[in-house]
Amino acid sequence: MISALNGALDDISKAMRLHRVWIALAHEDIGDQHRRTTLGPLWLLVNYLAFIGTFIFVFKTSDTDSAGYTAYASIGLVVWFYLMEMISLSVPLFSREGSFIQGTRLPLFVYVMRLTVQCIIRAAYSVAGCIVILLFSGLGISTEWLLSIPGMLLIVLATPAMVTVFAFLGAFFPDAQFIVGNIMRVGTFLTPVFWVYHGQSGIQNYAYHWNPFTYFLEVVRAPIASGEFPMHAFVLTAYISLAFWVIALLLLGRYRKRVVFLI
Amino acid sequence: MISVKLDNVSLAYRLYEKLTLSAPDRRLGALGGTIGRSGGMQVVQALEDVSFELKAGDRLGLVGPNGAGKTTLLKVLYGIYQPSSGTVSIEGKVDALFNINIGFRPEATGRRNIVLRGLISGWTEAEIEQKMPEIITFSELGDFIDVPFKTYSQGMAARLAFSAATALDPEILLMDEWIGAGDAAFQEKAKRRMDELAEKAGIIVLASHNENLLESVCTKRMTLKNGRVESFITRPTKKVGARAKS
Repeated sequence: MISALNGALDDISKAMRLHRVWIALAHEDIGDQHRRTTLGPLWLLVNYLAFIGTFIFVFKTSDTDSAGYTAYASIGLVVWFYLMEMISLSVPLFSREGSFIQGTRLPLFVYVMRLTVQCIIRAAYSVAGCIVILLFSGLGISTEWLLSIPGMLLIVLATPAMVTVFAFLGAFFPDAQFIVGNIMRVGTFLTPVFWVYHGQSGIQNYAYHWNPFTYFLEVVRAPIASGEFPMHAFVLTAYISLAFWVIALLLLGRYRKRVVFLI
Repeated sequence: MISVKLDNVSLAYRLYEKLTLSAPDRRLGALGGTIGRSGGMQVVQALEDVSFELKAGDRLGLVGPNGAGKTTLLKVLYGIYQPSSGTVSIEGKVDALFNINIGFRPEATGRRNIVLRGLISGWTEAEIEQKMPEIITFSELGDFIDVPFKTYSQGMAARLAFSAATALDPEILLMDEWIGAGDAAFQEKAKRRMDELAEKAGIIVLASHNENLLESVCTKRMTLKNGRVESFITRPTKKVGARAKS
């Protein structure tokens, strides 16, 4: 256990010294995804705006026709897109990086950080779109918005751990890619991204309270949408993140040298 | 002091069998290490009891049939594979050239790939900038250096890979059979650079099927078969000295 932790920390500290590598590679990734397109990464912004625009205008009812709901759905979607993309890209991470893993001695955590940076850059485009929507929604800017920053930081801090856990899952159980893919697609509807929980019973009750993603969304969303700091959600998100880090360190420590034989 | 020492190194790894609807296996051929079974799992014995020692200035040629364990051994030396038993002790800065496409991004230009490769090997941006002209000149790629890597021929890729890997003055250079991709003129140039490297008291380990190449580069020769060392021969050093002069 102790040696596993030492191994993991060694891998992480080596990767941190190579920060230039993962930052450069993450930029390459973003560039590659949009190579030869005119708008380039701005497509990420268009994609987000099209999605949220459709939702807000098509699903407009008296219940949802308010600045509050626009903020609720647009922030929810930013966080959800981030989580969904990060988790779905993590599962096949090691097999995607196969040629580097089999040909270089880079610590595994380099690939984890590479994906983390890539996800953050991509999210920045939807955050920009989200801010534009918030400004036009008539919600009015307030200093309480700043209260969602701790939540965002917490999610960013949890990202490398989540990437690690899902990447190992994908390396050991290749089927996980499809299972996780399905879960995340279903999750879009089971997570309160678009729907609001007003104490309904039945499945919505479970989907709200027993869904870890709810809390990840709430820590960022609640300060802006309802103007209060969601302490309960924050504490739970912190615990979930901590759990991910513990598992990630153990996996990294014990199995990092095995990955090369699996991919 | 630059040295490589392996003591009873063995490497076995599990083959993960997947649920499949296809006909049961005719996938596993006669090549490669021994595939055995242990507790219902397939285990490949890729290396078994490999021991040898190399000192500064040694140039080892690895020979053996396909799947004998040459590349596996290089990857153990490089630190990609952790041996299942035995010890590997290496003193010196190691660089390796495996499959040409490993570690290169097809979409990026040759120049950008050199930068990435340098960063991966732990150089700073300033060092890369400083080495860049030399790498480009040595590779003789000219204007192609600013063209995406995917458009390169195998030979051009080999030139880039070799130029980049040897530009950082590695103390120990591991190479897999690929150098044959370069044309005769480049092979000659590559050979000279390897000579220089060995004269600076470096170590070269080259896995190849090319007898001429092995003959002209290597001072020692190790034959692998089914993951075991079949023979280890040291050639008289006189010949190397004579060749260096000519």
